[in-house]
Amino acid sequence: MSDSTNKNIVLVGNPNTGKSTVFNLLTGLNQKIGNFPGVTVDKKTGQFKIDNIKYNVVDLPGTYSLIPNSEDEKITQQYIASITSKDLIVVVADVTNLKRNLLLCTQIIDEGKQVVLALNMMDLLQKNKQEINIEKLKTEIGCPIIPINARIGKGIDSLKNAIVNHKITSLSFLPEQSSNNIDNTILRFKKIDAILNQCCSKKGEDSSYLSTKKIDNILTHKVYGYLIFLSLLFIIFQAIFSWSSYPMDLIENGFIWLSDFVANTLPKGVVNDLIVNGIIAGLGGIVIFVPQIAILFAFITILEDTGYMARVSFLMDRILRQFGLNGKSIIPLLSSTACAVPAIMSARTIGNPKERLITIMVAPLMSCSARIPVYTILIALIVPEESTLGIFNMQGLLVLGLYLLGFVTALLSALVMKWLIKAKQQSAFTLEMPIYRPPRWKNVGIEIVSKVKVFLFDAGKIIIAISIILWGLSSYGPGDSFEQIEAKYAHNTEQLDESDVQAKIASEKLEASYAGIIGKTIEPVIEPLGFDWKIGISLVTSFAAREVFVGTMATLYSVGNEDNTKSIREKMLAAKNPQTGEKLYTTATTLSLLIFYVFAMQCMATLAIVYRETKSIKWPIIQVIYMGALAYIGSFVVYTIFS
Amino acid sequence: MTLDSLKENEQATIIAINNDGLALQLLSMGFILGEKIKLERIAPLNDPIIISSGNNYISIRKKDAQQITISKS
Repeated sequence: MSDSTNKNIVLVGNPNTGKSTVFNLLTGLNQKIGNFPGVTVDKKTGQFKIDNIKYNVVDLPGTYSLIPNSEDEKITQQYIASITSKDLIVVVADVTNLKRNLLLCTQIIDEGKQVVLALNMMDLLQKNKQEINIEKLKTEIGCPIIPINARIGKGIDSLKNAIVNHKITSLSFLPEQSSNNIDNTILRFKKIDAILNQCCSKKGEDSSYLSTKKIDNILTHKVYGYLIFLSLLFIIFQAIFSWSSYPMDLIENGFIWLSDFVANTLPKGVVNDLIVNGIIAGLGGIVIFVPQIAILFAFITILEDTGYMARVSFLMDRILRQFGLNGKSIIPLLSSTACAVPAIMSARTIGNPKERLITIMVAPLMSCSARIPVYTILIALIVPEESTLGIFNMQGLLVLGLYLLGFVTALLSALVMKWLIKAKQQSAFTLEMPIYRPPRWKNVGIEIVSKVKVFLFDAGKIIIAISIILWGLSSYGPGDSFEQIEAKYAHNTEQLDESDVQAKIASEKLEASYAGIIGKTIEPVIEPLGFDWKIGISLVTSFAAREVFVGTMATLYSVGNEDNTKSIREKMLAAKNPQTGEKLYTTATTLSLLIFYVFAMQCMATLAIVYRETKSIKWPIIQVIYMGALAYIGSFVVYTIFS
Repeated sequence: MTLDSLKENEQATIIAINNDGLALQLLSMGFILGEKIKLERIAPLNDPIIISSGNNYISIRKKDAQQITISKS
């Protein structure tokens, strides 16, 4: 199809006008999310087709005015400036707040663009006891005006008709403009007021905000408000922690089955190993996050859609602001205890760029669920399961302590960054409090799908690449070191059974691999923390995901045990320091290692998503360095105190 | 007097906004010089506040409210 049969439609409107619902209605699931070059704002594009003509629809970020105040608004303004008269702008306006919405609409008309005005929320107009003479409004403003109710899909066909049959007309609203933006805006409002006085008539008291005020009396109450919010957080927490475990188990078992199947079907060799341990393992490590991302974004979309998110910000802003964060930061921070990946994606709801950046930077310090297996195995080394402090289980208390340590450090780091990071723009914190409305379930579904897509495709590429590199590092060694190991055991099979030999070979190969060499190379650096080269290898392989620590330990300590049923825990307990002959996992070393795992940035999925969300390689690098420094210093202090 | 000194449910008129950026931002959100403004609600921790003008309801921090000169009517 040639370009001349394509037409571009651009959707513009104030926030909370139902613009994204209109976009979904026009394009269905036929949409994708891309980027505006160089900035952190998503560009949603989609298509629809009528009479063999393809209409490309672009959804621009919500904006109140063409005079930009934020990054989002700057993009909208620049994008509109670049549009030609062949393209059409559909302004979606909230009919219950027409005066404010017409500001943007008339600004766009005065830019000389082709405009169709869609008046949304016509259903609320009756509730407001208002009437609008649309024909009269049409003649006053000049552009086609289509009343719609996007929530139930009413009027979308007429909107499509208006788009298809649009004829280029030259319009102007405010012919004489001064150079002062404020004066201009006031003039514009005066003219809009005059027009609305002629076209609108009130038939009674406006009651649209009454029920919202009543709900707010409870939801922003000094006691109930916080109680309700805490209970909601608890439900979200519960959902991403326990509900998600069923699909996650399914995915995990699915990938185990797949890798077994491929490993046994393909001929043995490098390709088999690369596919099984590099690619499938990497893919599994990505897909496993999908349930948590889907559940978290279902909740977040519902909270946003109903208007509750603005109240969360209102309730929490005072507390979190002191740490350079935002009222809305509480959602990413708490979600981060499940997984930092969806948490960092959810920081997008924070409008202020500096506060959003700080939230992204500190969220991975919250102890995520991948740290739990590491905490469990290490704590079991130093605290017997049955030991208690009063009525509390000691192991449980220690885990709680680690969580608190992560949380407090996140807040303190945020405080430091508040002073260090310069704000790009000194924008005031203004947030619209929309009226409460029921969630649009279709919208929730579309939002989940699009967030999962962004994660799988944008972060997924980076994660797969790093997985393959890590696989290479631990499956290859310099020269013929691997062949020598195999040759050594080829003659030695009489005394040991087959599985023991395999385990020994795997362990010695890991030691001789590049990962092993890295472990040994960094040994002098990590020695002051009480770590040996085996722990060094685990620190390297943990980069794929923290829980890999357990697997690596299993491989490394599979040496020399006739009894294969011994748990990794027992093997680690029995491990000796080769120089002193003393126990390796002393209280000091174990605590030091625990502290290291609380602080260190050992998660490539998180780094990939931080890169994706900040659009800069600078922030993930800073994150690795500052969290690494915290980990090193923290572990060093703890090791020195306890040894 | 400035906007942050209003009590809940008190009304006033905006006289001036002493910061052009904030003025433009509020203006485009429907808060217009010379029009009525109402303090709807103060957050439980005393900051931020919700203000309204017509059908526009927004939350702003007190620090920003101090930039807004009002006259009580």
